[in-house]
Amino acid sequence: MTPALELDDLRKSFGKAEIIRGLNLKVEKGERHAIIGPNGAGKSTMFNLITGRFPQTSGHVRLHGTDLAGLQPFQINRLGLSRSFQITNIFPKMTVFENLRCSLLWSLGYKYSFWNLVSRSRALNEGAEVILEQINLTARRDLPAGVLSYAEQRALEIGITIAGGADVIMLDEPTAGMSNTETDYIVNLIEKVTENKTLIVVEHDMGVVFGLADRISVLVYGEIIATGTPEAVRADQKVQEAYLGAALEEEH
Amino acid sequence: MSVASTNTRKYGAVTLGTLMPWIVCALILLILPQVLDSRGQLTIMSQMSIMIVFALAYNMLLGQGGMLSFGHAVYVGMGSFLCLHVMNSSGFSSIPLPILPLIGGLFGLGFAMIIGSFSTRSAGTVFAMITLGIGELMAACVLIIVVFFGGEEGISGYRDEGLPFFGLDFISHIEVFYLIAFWLFTSAALMFLFSRTPVGRMANAVRDNPERAQFLGYSSRWVRFVSFSASGFFCGIAGGLSAILFEIATESDLNVAASGVILLIVFLGGVGVFWGPVIGAIVFILLQTVLGFQTHLWELYVGVIFVGMVMFFPGGIAGLIVAHGVAISLGKLNLLIRPYLTCVLPGIIGVLGLCGLIEMIFHVREAPTGEYEMTLFWTDLNTHHVWPWLIFGGIALAGILIARNQAPVLKEAWAQANTIDGEPS
Repeated sequence: MTPALELDDLRKSFGKAEIIRGLNLKVEKGERHAIIGPNGAGKSTMFNLITGRFPQTSGHVRLHGTDLAGLQPFQINRLGLSRSFQITNIFPKMTVFENLRCSLLWSLGYKYSFWNLVSRSRALNEGAEVILEQINLTARRDLPAGVLSYAEQRALEIGITIAGGADVIMLDEPTAGMSNTETDYIVNLIEKVTENKTLIVVEHDMGVVFGLADRISVLVYGEIIATGTPEAVRADQKVQEAYLGAALEEEH
Repeated sequence: MSVASTNTRKYGAVTLGTLMPWIVCALILLILPQVLDSRGQLTIMSQMSIMIVFALAYNMLLGQGGMLSFGHAVYVGMGSFLCLHVMNSSGFSSIPLPILPLIGGLFGLGFAMIIGSFSTRSAGTVFAMITLGIGELMAACVLIIVVFFGGEEGISGYRDEGLPFFGLDFISHIEVFYLIAFWLFTSAALMFLFSRTPVGRMANAVRDNPERAQFLGYSSRWVRFVSFSASGFFCGIAGGLSAILFEIATESDLNVAASGVILLIVFLGGVGVFWGPVIGAIVFILLQTVLGFQTHLWELYVGVIFVGMVMFFPGGIAGLIVAHGVAISLGKLNLLIRPYLTCVLPGIIGVLGLCGLIEMIFHVREAPTGEYEMTLFWTDLNTHHVWPWLIFGGIALAGILIARNQAPVLKEAWAQANTIDGEPS
């Protein structure tokens, strides 16, 4: 079976500095895969390479077997890959509902239409309402997204990310900067909305990672030093040395 | 709310409430020329209508798409020039005049598509600079390519040589006004509907966050291109209307100064609200004609109003009106009446006093030697007496001081009017 996402010797250099140094990774369909690693390991860079935010220096990214080389972010999105951002990335002046409705437009086939009225499309409006309910923001429906609380904005961001119906969802630190209650809320939300989808998530909170992920990859200095089930990664000697030991000790 | 209950929600239903503003506008357009029927009034109203089409088209870019253009008069001018060529061609006798603006619109669309194909690659400074460059380029072309633009004299023609339209030949000003009003209404309605289409919604999204839009499957560049082309179409219509009204097109119709005026109008009216540019165009044309008739310094005052607006009320006049919506919905508008009387009113009087001083200085400097008499605010006075100076200076000083003194009261009242009762401050 073709993996949902496959990285093949992916490399990225900024000037002389090689930030991503040959990544090989296969994420199967329906898998929940977490990427962990210390700050500056290249997790966000890896996300940006996969989603076409900037081009790789060499290597390949394949989505369901299709090579993404040279494709623009919007083209990659149309192939069924959607992402969220580490720093909240929503449409702050538009209402919450409008944010979600815009996220649905392409997948419902409206493209660049100027002969349909968005308010008259039942599929569009009901679809947006359903997601609004999924992310528990129905009460905020008509508020500008910019005035929501931080956790609500993060929830909205996840809603925008899943709205288009992409089957590969990439979340970049979805719980960053959240209190414990907010974290629980977002993790529940992620579990709910990514059911039967492939999830790739960068996360710092080990509780979240071990609770959510089927498999974990550990990224250190631009290289994946271990990939496996949470138990295997936890037991891995190299991971212990490089990263996890320190992080786990910190938590206790 | 459950999904089942959302099913009962009616989407996009056309109600009397949503249609009411349009019906009122249509009635105003129908009735106004019957009341204000002198030639001058009809011309001003026609000019205003054309400006509104242009301003709304410009705001498709600036307000809805977040693209700042410094050369948008080009598309109006191009539409205008082309329509005059059509009017001068032998084929004009087989074209009814009312469809001429459509030809201008299609030409504006085509020209905008050519320019937009490279200028919309990014928004922001790059886009602004390209539009400025195209604006200068086209203004230079008018003087160089005499065959199409007629050099400094421009191109002129006669609107009444078209195919008669149900017996109308559009010689009289009132017929021309109704023709322009028809296109104003149609264009405004179409532009409003455009903002409600998928691509119109995405224009807002791209304005707010072009990168996020990319990750929703939309090419920011293509969305900008569609907005730009649509805007060019309506600008072309405005150009065609201008050709019909003035029967001439010159360099001044499409130079950078003309593009600056539309930017000023749209900002004055308010970029954030669909009908903001309508108010901007009406206020600007009124200032230009009424104030321009009273004083040589009208451009100075308009400039100061513009700077003040941008600095203190970036939402424009429409933004100011909309800002009162909260107070109205809370039923607290009455809280604002008193502070407006004690703060804003003295402020306005003070500013008028200041204007009086400026007018007198201008009169002393520019009037022919020996002419000391002038009329200011319907009062005859002698600029070489000390009293007028003292009186206007006193009014200016007193008015502005009172306004400054009362400003905190106004601020407090504004905060009060915008707070829901029972909520802790």
